[in-house]
Amino acid sequence: MKKIIYIAILFSGLANAQITPEFEIGAKGVFSGNLNLNSDESSAVSDFSDTQLLMGLRQKLYNNWRAQFVLGLQFPDANSNLGEVFYNNIFIRLEDQKNIVKLGRTLAKTNLNQFPTLRDDDAQQFTYALNPFSDGVNTERDQYANVLEYSHIFKQRLYVSLHGENFYDSMVPDDFRLNSIGASLMYKVPLSQRWNRNVIQEIGISYNNYFTDRLGYSNDFDASVKNLLFSTTLNLKPDPINFIDFRLQAIQNFGWKEVVTLNEYFDYTRTESTTVFGTFRFLKQKLERPNYQISIGGGYKSLPNLEVDSNQLIIIANSFYRIGESFDIGLQYRYTENTGFTESLFGKNEHRIQLAIVYSFSKIFNKQFGDREDLLNLEHNYLR
Amino acid sequence: MDRRNFLTTGALSSAGLVLFPGNLLAKETKIDNKEKLVQPLIYKMDGEWKEFELYIDIHTHEPAPGYKYHTLAFNDMIPGPEIRVNAGDKVRVKFINKTDLNHTIHWHGVHVPWRMDGVPFVTQLPVMPKNEFIYEFVAEPEGTHFYHCHWGTLMHMQAGMFGSLIIENPNDSIKKQFPYEREYTLVYSSHDTNYVREEMNTMLERMKQRSYLMKEERFDPEQWAVFDNKDQFMTSIENGYQPPYVTNRRSNSDLPQANWFTVNGKSYPSTPYVFIKSGENIRIRLINAGAETHHLHLHGHDFWMVADDGVPIDNPWKRNTVPLTPGKTFDIIVEGKNRGIWTFHDHDTRKVTNNGLYPGGNLLALVYEDLPADELIISKHSGNPMYNSKAGMGDMKGMDSMGNEKMSNRNKMMFGEDKLPKIALDE
Repeated sequence: MKKIIYIAILFSGLANAQITPEFEIGAKGVFSGNLNLNSDESSAVSDFSDTQLLMGLRQKLYNNWRAQFVLGLQFPDANSNLGEVFYNNIFIRLEDQKNIVKLGRTLAKTNLNQFPTLRDDDAQQFTYALNPFSDGVNTERDQYANVLEYSHIFKQRLYVSLHGENFYDSMVPDDFRLNSIGASLMYKVPLSQRWNRNVIQEIGISYNNYFTDRLGYSNDFDASVKNLLFSTTLNLKPDPINFIDFRLQAIQNFGWKEVVTLNEYFDYTRTESTTVFGTFRFLKQKLERPNYQISIGGGYKSLPNLEVDSNQLIIIANSFYRIGESFDIGLQYRYTENTGFTESLFGKNEHRIQLAIVYSFSKIFNKQFGDREDLLNLEHNYLR
Repeated sequence: MDRRNFLTTGALSSAGLVLFPGNLLAKETKIDNKEKLVQPLIYKMDGEWKEFELYIDIHTHEPAPGYKYHTLAFNDMIPGPEIRVNAGDKVRVKFINKTDLNHTIHWHGVHVPWRMDGVPFVTQLPVMPKNEFIYEFVAEPEGTHFYHCHWGTLMHMQAGMFGSLIIENPNDSIKKQFPYEREYTLVYSSHDTNYVREEMNTMLERMKQRSYLMKEERFDPEQWAVFDNKDQFMTSIENGYQPPYVTNRRSNSDLPQANWFTVNGKSYPSTPYVFIKSGENIRIRLINAGAETHHLHLHGHDFWMVADDGVPIDNPWKRNTVPLTPGKTFDIIVEGKNRGIWTFHDHDTRKVTNNGLYPGGNLLALVYEDLPADELIISKHSGNPMYNSKAGMGDMKGMDSMGNEKMSNRNKMMFGEDKLPKIALDE
């Protein structure tokens, strides 16, 4: 009997001492009607792909670090082979003032910039270093991986990251071993200081090394697919009412010299390529909130090692108008052009027009402590 | 270590009481206590003017050991320093705004010229970031008053922008009726530290935008939500402007819910002690600079209510509990008639908490300096046989077999130094 009482006291004690964590919820709903012209893909009356929900639970640890558990799900493209729902974020994040550790499935360092497109993957072949283990059926396998990442922050703005990933391998889907490593160096002005009117908002590079199998090469490094990313965001007019920025990302895939034709998607990610993508964005703010936004961008990808001249071009333009807090209506036009091998692999030139309603929301409930990038912590003594 | 053992260890290390030794009557305690009392603001004379200087800056404040948050603070202290003048003095206060936020100073209860009243857009323009303002007034009427920021008052006062302002009368009727040598100023407040942090961050960020537009002379009434007059405001609404309080711009209210309660900026166990001697009268000036009512109750005594909002009460009356409502000041006289250590606390016990944990908040003690050290020894004077090995405990189950030495060891384990008071942080 005594023992039962002790156990009851122990567990009730633990329950009383429990912290109710900060609860962060983020949601994005993208609903569009798609009109595809000259395309192999059919038009869609109601496309809700890229709609996602993100939940995070965060608290302070005993040693003044913070820990967060994040769970997120996304509704992928209908033909993505991922089912109705894809769990794109399942990870733990540990951090203090200068260090961040991430463990689990989340965004990989295959993209360094967030371009103003309707959906994250609207210019996928131009904005992501592509996963060489993927058969290319979906875009999520390029964006997300099982990640172990460590970042150290110097002087609040310089992020040095080392990371290893297990990217999804279409040929061996049950292989969860490390198949990629990389490092990145990013200078980022914290979001809370964006009205400091710095011209350079972000600039950085990232190197990814995928441990692929390459016929005739036994050395891991020589057998790898390797790519280098450069990215920058420049505030051309850092005005709080009429804001203009320019975003640019370049990806050099060093490729394998023996891949001179594109017979399948795997060749596409293994041949040498140079990709550049950039956008200009004008944001009109009213009452210190976004009012409308117009952006235009484009990208070019050259694949110089192929026998036949094969290049890709994309032009993308869109406009969004805020109809209420968190709700925007948008119109996007996209033109893609493929030549040579890329035409046989991805289809002919395509025009796509999309009319969309977008909902985006993010809020932290039960807030208990400040973030690293709060102005108070950045400019007035960081509180652990 | 297996999971079960790990859980056990975790529970043992986090549960129960945390006890620290203390000695109220030690010299160090009194020196330390001075820092918990309001600090005087020194003035210099400029002709017939008493000239004070107050600056405001962002400050890291620690109401109780181990818990820090960012605040606004006059002269790097909460509450701001005490301004003490005589009735009729000419007072000049140079106010320097070192922050990136707007502020003013309102002189609560003081009959200043209306242009000196510190209400933004009514009596003056706000004191903009890195700017200064000179307040001038004649100190009247006598009594216990205070000053506070009147810009964004809901946040700025909670964040620490308040301080006491005492206008003394050389022929003080209260002092004549209840002769006293010592007096204390206790400034009460309540704080939603989460609200303060989030609001300060939001305002600081917003001010980065606004300062830029201001420098470019691109003032827009709708952008700032500041209108020249009601007609301009109504015209804006007719043209589609939606004020920030409507439900398509703001969801249901996030009004602050205080989680810290302070006296002179401190929460228990950092609250000040009020010292008294047997036979002595002390005057306590109570100021509520917060937004909650505090039902202050003194154990073991009735005290005299001698002033209300600084106005002397002709016929003082006795009570032991007083509701100190927001913006209110009361002066009380405590007569040293019952030697001991007496708790003086909010009887709305929700406010005797730190972040929801009792005890904490505005719990403090009235301490008799002539209390013999001997009386502080727990085992000697506690009536509870649990703590006294010499008391008979034969009737208590299990205790009859506990020897004196064993009991003494147990007391030492539980209570450390055999003295009062302890600091208890009961979970």
